[in-house]
Formats: sequence, C-alpha cells, structure tokens
Amino acid sequence: MSATTMSGQEKSGGFGGMQTKPATAMNAARIAIDNLDFYYGDHKALKEIKLDLPDRQVTGMIGPSGCGKSTLLRVLNRMYDLYPGQRATGQVMMDGDNIIDPKMDLNALRARVGMVFQKPTPFPMTIYENITFGVKLHERLSKSAMEERVEWSLTRAALWGEVKDRLQASAMGLSGGQQQRLCIARTIAVRPEVILLDEPTSALDPISTLKVEELIDELKNDFTIAIVTHNMQQAARCADQVAFFYLGEMVECAPAAQIFTSPKQKRTQEYVTGRFG
Amino acid sequence: MSESTEHLVKSFDNDLKRLRDMLTEMGGIVESQVAMAAEAIMNRDSGAATRAVEEDPKVDALEREVEQFVIRMLALRQPMAGDLRRIVGALKITSDLERIGDYAANVAKRSIVLAQFNLPYSLAGLAHMAHMVQDQLKSIIDALGSSDTEKAVEVWRSDRVVDDIYNALFRELITYMMEDPRNITPCTHLLFIAKNLERIGDHATNIAETVYYSVEGEVIPDVRPKGDTSAYAVVRPKE
Repeated sequence: MSATTMSGQEKSGGFGGMQTKPATAMNAARIAIDNLDFYYGDHKALKEIKLDLPDRQVTGMIGPSGCGKSTLLRVLNRMYDLYPGQRATGQVMMDGDNIIDPKMDLNALRARVGMVFQKPTPFPMTIYENITFGVKLHERLSKSAMEERVEWSLTRAALWGEVKDRLQASAMGLSGGQQQRLCIARTIAVRPEVILLDEPTSALDPISTLKVEELIDELKNDFTIAIVTHNMQQAARCADQVAFFYLGEMVECAPAAQIFTSPKQKRTQEYVTGRFG
Repeated sequence: MSESTEHLVKSFDNDLKRLRDMLTEMGGIVESQVAMAAEAIMNRDSGAATRAVEEDPKVDALEREVEQFVIRMLALRQPMAGDLRRIVGALKITSDLERIGDYAANVAKRSIVLAQFNLPYSLAGLAHMAHMVQDQLKSIIDALGSSDTEKAVEVWRSDRVVDDIYNALFRELITYMMEDPRNITPCTHLLFIAKNLERIGDHATNIAETVYYSVEGEVIPDVRPKGDTSAYAVVRPKE
C-alpha cells in the first residue's frame, strides 16, 4: 500500500499502478476496415471485420492458423485478385478510396501498400537492381536521384552499412536476415504509406529477428505497419495495438499491453496464455 | 476471468498448481504463527510464543523458494495475461506473507516480556482485534486458494473495523500510561503489539487486492478510507 494522499484515501492496488496509466493513444486511422467479408469460393474466411490501422503505428495480428489474419493482409493490397473465386465485400477505406472497389488501380495501390512475406524473396539480380526494380515501374528518376533512393531505402532498412560496398553483387549471396531486410528496403523504396508484414521473421534466426523488430520500430515513424505473427512475444514487443482473430472473426483489438496483461475476451485470454490454438 | 481450461503444455499447469500450493502452505504456517502469538498474549503462554518465533525461518525459506520459482517461470514459460498476473501476484503475496510472519514473531516476543507484568486492565480489546485479524488472514488464504474475489473484497472491506479497534486501543493505552507511569513499559509493548496486528490486517488487504487483480485483471473498483488515524490522535491529561 503505497499511494496515500493527503485526504487519507488509498488507491486500491494493482501492480505498480499499471492499471491506472492511460492506454497507448492511437492515431487516426490510415486504413479503416468496416463490415469486411471475404470468400474463398463458398467458404467465408472473414466475417464482418471492423478494424482501424492507426497512422504511423504498428498493428499486430495474432490468432491460430486459418483464423483469417493473413487473408486480411492479402485484402489490404488486393493480393487475392490474382486468384479467381476469391472476393471481398465491405469497406477498406484509405484516403477516401475503397481498396476493394474493382475500379481501384492495382499498380498504384500496391505502390501505396507494400508487402513483405514470410520467406525472403529477393529477385535473382544485384542488390542495387532489387531496389530499383519497383521504383522504375512508378517513377522516372535520374541516375543520381536513383542512387540516392537506393541509399535511403537501404539505410532505412538498416542494411546500408553491410552492403554499400557490394551493391552490384547478387542479392542471392546475402544471408537470410539480410535478404529479408533487402525485401523491406525494396518495399519502402517505392515510398508506400502502409507496409504489410506477413510473418516477416519466421524464417530468421533470433539475432536477425531482433534486427527486423528494431527496424519495424524505426519504420513506424514514417509508415503505417500491419504485422501478422505467430510469435506472441514478437507482437508484444513490436505492436502498438494487437488484434486477435479466430475462425474468421476479429475477437478483440486493444493496445498490446492490454491484450497481454488483461484481455477482455475469454477466447483471447485462452489463446495468449497457451490454452488453445 | 478464471482459468477453467487447461494449458496445451501440461507441465505449465503443474507449475501453476505448485506455485499456488507453495503460497497456501506458507499462508498456513503464517496463520498458525499469528494464532500462537495471540495465544501467547492472552494466556501468558511463553511456549506458544517460542513456537511462533521458531516458525519464522520456515516462512523465510518458503519466500525464497517462491521467488526463485517465479523467476524461473517468468524466464521459461514467458507467461501472458491471467497467467502473468497470477505469477507476478504470487511474488507480491509471498512478501506480504513473509512480513505477516515477522509481525507475528514480534508480537510473540513482546508477549514474553509482557508476561512479567501484572496488568490491572483487561486485554479484551486486544483479544478481539487478534481474532479479527486471524479471521481476515484465514479468509484471504482461502480466497487465494480458490481464486474467490468476492471473499477477497470482503476481507478488504473488513480491515476498516480492525483499524477502528486499533485507534480505540491506542487512546485507551495512552490513558493508562498517563494514569500511572509504571504502566508505561507494558503499555508500550501492548501498543506495538496492537500496531503489529493492525499491520497484519493491512498486509491481508494487500493480498486481497493482489488476488482480485490476478483473477479479474483490474483493481478493486473502490477507494478505501485510510484507517489508522492514530498518527493524528491527541490524548490530553485531565486538568
């Protein structure tokens, strides 16, 4: 019993007053998802999802396999368009546009919403060309401007120091962790607004994982980030808010500290404490 | 939010159960220490007093054991949500219990000195207080064992009564001291005994708060009036 005020009243406990602190303040939504349904053929994989991705903050998505979290990520840059029979209904609003509107310009969308996958997917070209490949599709830059862009994106991806002397070497010669950071550099080179990370560290060793997590923390100053992860500690370390998905529904979304100390929903509680999933 | 279902990793459940068992064992010893200390005062029983003091090393050893076990669980299990609250709560509860044991041992030691004096007044008030504190302690250890938050809140509220008795005793004892300086030695010991009992009640309420938070994930939704007002008490001699 420590907090005694002059009026002779005592605060009633909790651990170190962690309950009395205000929850992390969330920024305005960069992407606002509302009433989103998604179908793989007849199978409804997402049900009435409502979720905001706050601007320049990290949203972690957790849940057991098949719960719909990766599906949601694929909706956010219309990845599903590549497959017939997959469709989405509802609103996914970004800057006044509905992302899932069929009239949406997909190339422009994917420049605004970049994605990094589970396994590093460098192109079989030089490190330099890996970065410039996407930029050339969207912008015409002078050689010096392009060089600047390459240095900027590799620096932002915390890779510049390690590769600056071998930009013309093949990207395939990099280590797994370096390849993944190269993919992140490639994604941010086109200067997107939103970065989607689908289990970005599941194929990496612990040190590379921490480097990527550090990078995520750095990148959220400029970008809005959504990360799907099976590693709950990672979600706890990286995310400002965490959304828990189960059987295609979003069960609970709250600041990370709340999800991992006092989740409100029983299913969230059971999942984060390892009782199912 | 109660943990009805089991962990996918069975040994985690076993660890949590062991942690709870360690706390209830510790609670049981501390409870008996307080009972023996109370008996030592009321019945001038120096044997009970000695036994209460002799229990103390056991309590200290259990506290260290709980601490090490908690650190091990935090490192190896990386608990979340309700598990995390429970495990960190155990760390807090073990130090509350250890402190209760210290207070009980101190009461017991003073009872040995007190037995050398003829007390011209009744110890009924003190006996009542000792019983109330024992009840509080017993209830909170039950509540801890069964994650019973209702019971925890009950204990938390009942501390007010203990504080009231303490405040009354404080004034009473000062009056005796003013009446006859020969009362000063026994009454000072009695004051410390009363204060120790009152502190035991405070630690029981701490445990109540921790049990509530561990189970519910939020603090008891109320503010409790601060009970010990003896810090402001003025008792003046009669003119």
